[in-house]
Amino acid sequence: MDAHELTAAYALDALAPDEAERYERHLSQCEECREQLAELNEAAAALAFAAVAPAPPTRLRAAILETAAAERSNVVPLLRRRWVARGLAIAAAAAACVVVGLAVALTRSSHTSYVSMALSRDASGSVTVQFSGPVAAHGKTYEAWVIPNGKAPKPAGLFSGGTTTIIRLKGTVPNDAVVAVTIERAGGVPAPTTTPILSART
Amino acid sequence: MNRQLAHLSDEALVLLAARTEQSALAELYDRYGRTAYGLALRVLRDQALAEDAVQEAFLTVWRTASRFVPERGKASTWILTLVHRRAVDAVRREQRRRADSLDRAPEPSIEGVDEDAWLRLQRERVQEALRRLPDAQREALELAYYGGLSQSELAERLGQPLGTIKSRMFAGLSRLRELLGEPGTEMSWTPTS
Repeated sequence: MDAHELTAAYALDALAPDEAERYERHLSQCEECREQLAELNEAAAALAFAAVAPAPPTRLRAAILETAAAERSNVVPLLRRRWVARGLAIAAAAAACVVVGLAVALTRSSHTSYVSMALSRDASGSVTVQFSGPVAAHGKTYEAWVIPNGKAPKPAGLFSGGTTTIIRLKGTVPNDAVVAVTIERAGGVPAPTTTPILSART
Repeated sequence: MNRQLAHLSDEALVLLAARTEQSALAELYDRYGRTAYGLALRVLRDQALAEDAVQEAFLTVWRTASRFVPERGKASTWILTLVHRRAVDAVRREQRRRADSLDRAPEPSIEGVDEDAWLRLQRERVQEALRRLPDAQREALELAYYGGLSQSELAERLGQPLGTIKSRMFAGLSRLRELLGEPGTEMSWTPTS
């Protein structure tokens, strides 16, 4: 039996344990199946939303968080080291009106990069973004957006990244607006074409 | 409820959870816990078992968040895949499933369920997409995903060759993906606050 044919069944958890094992071995050597599985997994997970969902008992949330907290002391040191090793820098939240966002830059590079931003609003109402992240890939730019509550995103500036960049957003930023950053083609675009890598409410 | 992290994407929350930021796990639970519980309940038909499956899945998120690879898929897909796997493992382990369990055990009714608007929208979209599938494909997906049947059990139950079952699952899931990818369909969590 061809392991290729098992992708849908695997995504639905419809393989017997020995079949699933065999498929996983195949998966480690087949890029095509990995890509197809990612797509079919997403469709399968969507089925979860079709089930009628009564509210779970509140004790369930408490039980999960309590158990997680109890395990915390065991995992912190290792994870901290790993985190630092990945070269993450989170912008320090120094000013009074600061929001820190954290997200993954979905660039086409083979590794994950971490980006962050801190927003601060000065007395005149303009907003400054302190952005930390890698230089944008060739032919790409970061683009900042101001999204007033319930309205369409407005372009608020282009920047190329690199360690820490401080930019002042174009125009006025209404209270409660969302500031977002997307990766766009060089030169920028009038409306975002990609999912924001960062967003924060001012 | 602490919604300080409400502006962050699911993927960013997983990154924060990898730093053992407990509020990130809480936010992920607040976004997907209900869907996860609904799924586990649909598969297991038993509240205590469903709670166990959801708890195990979220603790797996907590323990393995640092290994999550965003390029391979969305965080919500990862979480719900973990929940589904735990639920299917449990249903097989408990051997509670009978050949006619899907026909007999009633699906939880939506009546009296206080569902938020976003969840209702997602549910209606996926249900509508399911309705648009050919009956044989929908049946295969539902028996496998909600019933926890393996492909061999499906073949036996439906009296079809295994190859036919595989084709139906593949065609059904691929078509479902296309239908859900149509404009106006967005499965990601969006901030409402």
